[in-house]
Amino acid sequence: MKKSSLILASAGALLLMAGIYLAFFVAPDAVVRIDDRELVRYSQKIFYFHVPVAETALVFLLLGGFFGAMYLGTRKRSYEQMSYAAVEIGFIFVILVMITGILWTRADWGVWWEWEPRLTTFLVLTLMYAGYFVLRSSVQEESAKARFGAIFSIIAAVNVPLTFMAGRLDSLKPVHPKVFTLQGASMEGPMLAAFLVSMFGMLLFATSLYIMRLDLLRAREDIEYLKEELEVG
Amino acid sequence: MSAKVSAGKQVFAIVKKDVLAELRTKEMVIAMFLFVVLAMVVFSQAFGVILNDLDRVGGGLLWVAFLFMSMLGLNRSFVHEKDEGCLEGLLMSPIDRPLIFFGKMLGNLLFLSIVELFAVPIFFVLFRLEMGASMAGIFLATIFLSNIGIACVGTLLSTISINTKTRDLMLPILFMPVIIPLLIAAVSATGGIMSGEELTEVYGSMRFIAVYDIIFLLVAYALYDYVISE
Repeated sequence: MKKSSLILASAGALLLMAGIYLAFFVAPDAVVRIDDRELVRYSQKIFYFHVPVAETALVFLLLGGFFGAMYLGTRKRSYEQMSYAAVEIGFIFVILVMITGILWTRADWGVWWEWEPRLTTFLVLTLMYAGYFVLRSSVQEESAKARFGAIFSIIAAVNVPLTFMAGRLDSLKPVHPKVFTLQGASMEGPMLAAFLVSMFGMLLFATSLYIMRLDLLRAREDIEYLKEELEVG
Repeated sequence: MSAKVSAGKQVFAIVKKDVLAELRTKEMVIAMFLFVVLAMVVFSQAFGVILNDLDRVGGGLLWVAFLFMSMLGLNRSFVHEKDEGCLEGLLMSPIDRPLIFFGKMLGNLLFLSIVELFAVPIFFVLFRLEMGASMAGIFLATIFLSNIGIACVGTLLSTISINTKTRDLMLPILFMPVIIPLLIAAVSATGGIMSGEELTEVYGSMRFIAVYDIIFLLVAYALYDYVISE
């Protein structure tokens, strides 16, 4: 493991642990009032994990599309690897979002699933990026694989906001809590602090995974190259 | 050469080629039409119980049929090109690459719209639906607007899927998630018209479909050169 990714991974892990500590011991518990009785919603604690995971996923998928476009523009192999690794990391986090999200909806809404804009968006996203990997594995030639992968990563990145906007049309009513709006975050003090620590921890951790994956892809290509050299020689 | 012949003429030449091929073989449009009607029969048998409530679910049924029918046609539209070596011919001809896209897309749009023009009245008859003339205009406009998006995304993705090992199998996997936003809006618009909702909501959905069309036309225009050139 390279030094840079090791530092990033440890910093991320430390921040994530600090985030968990802040979430459980410092941030106030979420309380709902039902008929003068106060109910503590402990399930809200997953928010400090679920939302950073979701935002990290979106960041990496957008990066995947961005590097995909860079690859098409320059045809530099390194951009293709950067795009592919970003989509891979993004996809892992998308699956984590689905798992943590489903656990939370079950605890808070009493159902495993609800056809709601955000949930629909993430389900479509999961299937769409699963399609990305199926597409790549179905193309034999390396250059075509890179080209189609890059093209689809751009199409998919464009489609994510569209799916979300479509979900807001009348047929599906949003019930997912909205914390961040244009007016700012609807939480303050310790809650916000716990969230931000988790958020940066998650981003650092994901970045370290990303760098490691990228190194692995490059190493694999070097080996392939050396193998060919040996065969020719 | 491409500088002398206008873009419109180049696009028209490709559309004409596809129409001529279809007129000679007549295999695509007729198969697509039969598929839609068969899908309606399947729906009537599968959902017989809720047919009384068709004002609310009818829009959805129609779109499921249209979506699967369009995939059938989109797959065919490039199988010929690829198998008969026609794609190489197209690539070698002095036509700007993005114009090849618009030519193929307009051909697909045309076939799709023709089939639907015949299928919609049959759908209304079979499921005992009624609609005033002014509403029918908005209804058909919604369908046509959605067709633009379907033909655009479909042409782009079927060019990709035809180059994979799994070919026909690959298109639905790529196409369906990308078309979902359009499907949501189209179902919402047609369903809204059928159940007599406020037109402002229908227009909202139609506006979304138009935005979707424009975005993916731009994306396809920018990307098609990379899709098609080796």
